[in-house]
Amino acid sequence: MTSPPVPPRPGAAGTATASTAPSAGRTGPPPYAAAVAAGLRDSGADLIGYVPSASVAPVITALVAADGGTGGSSERVFPLSREEEAMGVLGALPLAGRFGAVVMQDNGFGNALTALTTFNAAYHLPLLVVANTRGGLGEYNSMIHTLCQHVPGLLDRLGIRVFELDRRSGPGDWRDVIAEAGAHARMTFRPVVVLTHFWSTDGKGA
Amino acid sequence: MKRIQALQILAAATADLPVVVTCAATSRELAAVADRPNHLYLLDAMGLAGSVATGIALGLERPGAGNGPVGKVVAIEGDGSLLMNPNVLPTGGFLTPGNLLMVLLDNQVYGSTAGIPTYATRIDLGRLAEASGWSVLRATGPEELRESFGRALTLTGPVFLHVRIEPGNAPDVPKLLEDPVVIARRFQDWLHDRTEEAAVTAP
Repeated sequence: MTSPPVPPRPGAAGTATASTAPSAGRTGPPPYAAAVAAGLRDSGADLIGYVPSASVAPVITALVAADGGTGGSSERVFPLSREEEAMGVLGALPLAGRFGAVVMQDNGFGNALTALTTFNAAYHLPLLVVANTRGGLGEYNSMIHTLCQHVPGLLDRLGIRVFELDRRSGPGDWRDVIAEAGAHARMTFRPVVVLTHFWSTDGKGA
Repeated sequence: MKRIQALQILAAATADLPVVVTCAATSRELAAVADRPNHLYLLDAMGLAGSVATGIALGLERPGAGNGPVGKVVAIEGDGSLLMNPNVLPTGGFLTPGNLLMVLLDNQVYGSTAGIPTYATRIDLGRLAEASGWSVLRATGPEELRESFGRALTLTGPVFLHVRIEPGNAPDVPKLLEDPVVIARRFQDWLHDRTEEAAVTAP
């Protein structure tokens, strides 16, 4: 006896909807990555620092290309070597009347928590952090769950506001949420985190 | 030269510059010497002073403006603290903010944690900065510090002033118990006014 075919879920990997389907010959970033890049631009971030991750590589490529940069950097987008210093460098911008964003992956919160709490949060400095998630659905690394599955709870426990995005909403929603999270950070004078679950979108989940 | 002597010299030379200072004894002693709104005291986050100063420097820097509208952004670091976040050196060398000056007060011990020796007893942190692309100046005594600091202000690019000091904290310096929000706000307001003032007087 054979099982009946399982109908595809809307937006599931390999079953992209019209709004997310990669078009033949498309040269730009996949729509979800493009949406993250657009949301970061719309967020009002003057400078964007990133700590590399395969999931956010297309985001960085899109941001750098939009600025006319090369080699992973532009005038307003640049790499940093660790999440802790990213909180210090980008988190300090409001002291100079500007606003920063960090793009990273969520296991980096293990490196960043002391800076995030005792500097950004304690000094009431707005910062937008967009982090792709590891350790959820689609994750292949058996160790990374140990930290990453707890990230939303950890951040919540520490009073850091978190918004989550996943396959259940389209690229337009991702863009809007990220942009508005930047406004929320400035409005609350606090760091704000957007966790992006790329699994079952057109992006790389792990 | 003791730390507090070095801080007296630095305080006299930085009245118009933004200063980010590392936590614990260094912040306390600087506040005891001169508690001013241009001082951003990091009450915790050991190792972050250089990163915070880098962010402020990038936030103020304007392409082609060399030292930026308000001159150098000064980080006052300790050797133990720098060793907690040595990334600040390659990051500064990579991003090359023209208006960043880090003053390392190197006493080769963790001054706020019982004087336990740091790697600086064997590692020359100035050479680490040099290898990362910073312009490095050195000072040991008060006169050398005054002179080197003045020279550092004239250089463009990330500058690292490596100052050898004696171990030990100044006695009877009160703890710094201010609300960090107040520290941030007064620094931010001071820097805003200073930037506006510089814009008005710019040629």
